[in-house]
Amino acid sequence: MKNVAIIAQTKEGQLNEATNQLLSFVSKFNPEKIILVVLGENHLSSVGCSVPVDVISLSDGLWADTSAVSSLANAVKGYTVFGIKSIQIDNILSLLASCLKAEVVSGVQHLGYSAGVFSIGKSIFSGKAMLEISSSTASIFSLNRNFDFSDVSELPAKAVNSTSVLTYSSESKSAITALKPITGTIPLPDAALVVSAGRGLKDPSNWTIVEDLANALGAATACSKPVSDLNWRPHHEHVGQTGVKVSPNLYIACGISGAIQHLAGVNGSRIIVVINNDPEAPFFKHADYGIVGDVNDILPRLTKKLQSH
Amino acid sequence: MKILVCISCVPDTTSKIAIDPSTSQISSQGLTYIVGPYDDYALSRAIELKESNGAEVIVLHVGGSESEALIRKCLALGADSAVRIDGNPISSTQIADAIVDYVKQNPVDLILMGKESIDYNSGIVHGLVAGALGYVHFNPVMHLDLAGNDLQLEVEIDGGKMEVSCALPAVLGCQEPIAEWKIPSMRGIMTARTKEISVLPLNPTDSVKLVKASIAETARRNKMIDAADAETLIDLLKTETNVL
Ligand SMILES: Cc1cc2nc3c(=O)[nH]c(=O)nc-3n(C[C@H](O)[C@H](O)[C@H](O)COP(=O)(O)OP(=O)(O)OC[C@H]3O[C@@H](n4cnc5c(N)ncnc54)[C@H](O)[C@@H]3O)c2cc1C
Repeated sequence: MKNVAIIAQTKEGQLNEATNQLLSFVSKFNPEKIILVVLGENHLSSVGCSVPVDVISLSDGLWADTSAVSSLANAVKGYTVFGIKSIQIDNILSLLASCLKAEVVSGVQHLGYSAGVFSIGKSIFSGKAMLEISSSTASIFSLNRNFDFSDVSELPAKAVNSTSVLTYSSESKSAITALKPITGTIPLPDAALVVSAGRGLKDPSNWTIVEDLANALGAATACSKPVSDLNWRPHHEHVGQTGVKVSPNLYIACGISGAIQHLAGVNGSRIIVVINNDPEAPFFKHADYGIVGDVNDILPRLTKKLQSH
Repeated sequence: MKILVCISCVPDTTSKIAIDPSTSQISSQGLTYIVGPYDDYALSRAIELKESNGAEVIVLHVGGSESEALIRKCLALGADSAVRIDGNPISSTQIADAIVDYVKQNPVDLILMGKESIDYNSGIVHGLVAGALGYVHFNPVMHLDLAGNDLQLEVEIDGGKMEVSCALPAVLGCQEPIAEWKIPSMRGIMTARTKEISVLPLNPTDSVKLVKASIAETARRNKMIDAADAETLIDLLKTETNVL
């Protein structure tokens, strides 16, 4: 692995924690050169890494077709490319892979490299199983958000070697006609704490007790599929096999029965709390802490307890 | 106007996944297969477009003959014909290459598929196909309208949604609420019997090796807290787990 490129994730112009960990992780393999590809504006002057990095910023644009991505492909030709799973990063990595005719592995949970061979642990069946893959030819990797960075330590910051900008240009006529960012809430895929509710809440107007608890914790809100199907909550909150997959430190499930399709989206959570008035609810078998009780009673009490601290 | 819908055939969402000790791979014993739920959304939208705009819908699957019953179900839902590229693909690259080879020989205007297959969860086949064909690519698409050559899409992005306009040809990864899952009609089932499923060979292209699969199980504490003492949950989360 002589040359490595990382598609970075940033927060307010700085690398996010996962990208910093990824930089330390790839440093283990002693690369000679590292390119950091940053989407959008940034003010990176130094980053924690074993070798000075070259930063390539991608200007705002769709980056959604080969003609746009080919300039980036030229810049990272021959590099081993890493990114941490997000909608945009997976889209870019797959287009890059086809431009470069490179093999790509997505959903990587752990990764080793020795004597030119990658040993890859890929999580499959929404985290229910793991597949060990070996490949000497794969060169693009999309790592899961809960990738195992356990044995990496942050490296001292080094000044950035060079910075350049790739300006978005595309032969296609694609254009954004409206942007609708979700504002005012914590983004679910990145949230460390999640309060999720299901059909047991009975009515969308009852979500105030869920939101109050989430606010008291500083948590994101989520829901089960029937809840978003009924339009009680927006689709981007739907967690499960056919929705968002989350792996927070804490997942509190309120009035959710624990169907296997729901569990598939949450079994990466570190601690699971289940609150349900049916002691037989299947979710209790997959809980770290369970409370048999009515959400209308329990949730406000938990909120009050948190506020009293 | 030709729409190609690429489908995965995957274990039913309620499946209990187990390992076959003789191969160290996922056991297919006792599993019921379904068309991937996201692919099902893509197919449903393709059939709606066929009804509203007029289009020929072709279903493509890369996999073995055991999938023919599911392909037949897609035909019963309203697809006009189907192609099965026969083999056992073991990577997204192999599947994408097979689709690209087919489309190079048999051009289409629009390629729809699910945003990911629910077995291997890679979510990259649409991007690989779009890149190799030089088509426009969006994923995951939540609304799709078609007028002539122009597409109006609503696409989920990290932290929100965007509306885009673009032109065919395009490859789109689909997710809800792009369409509602459909159930085949009796008439659909009858006419599907005579529709064609052509079979083409798969030429594996990469050299990934599957070493073994294992079941990932997270041990849980299973500690019950009495409802009368619900508040102690907050203390336990602080003292026992460090998550707060
Ligand atoms: C192909 C497919 C894909 C699917 N994908 C997903 C997915 O991604 N995500 C998902 O969530 N589901 C998915 N489902 C649906 C899944 O099978 C379940 O139907 C769904 O998860 C149930 O949602 P729920 O728990 O909110 O509702 P229910 O199953 O109706 O459960 C409600 C729960 O609330 C409890 N309750 C009621 N009143 C109270 C109260 N006052 N206080 C406390 N508890 C109360 C009840 O005891 C019950 O356990 C999928 C299904 C299929 C077929």
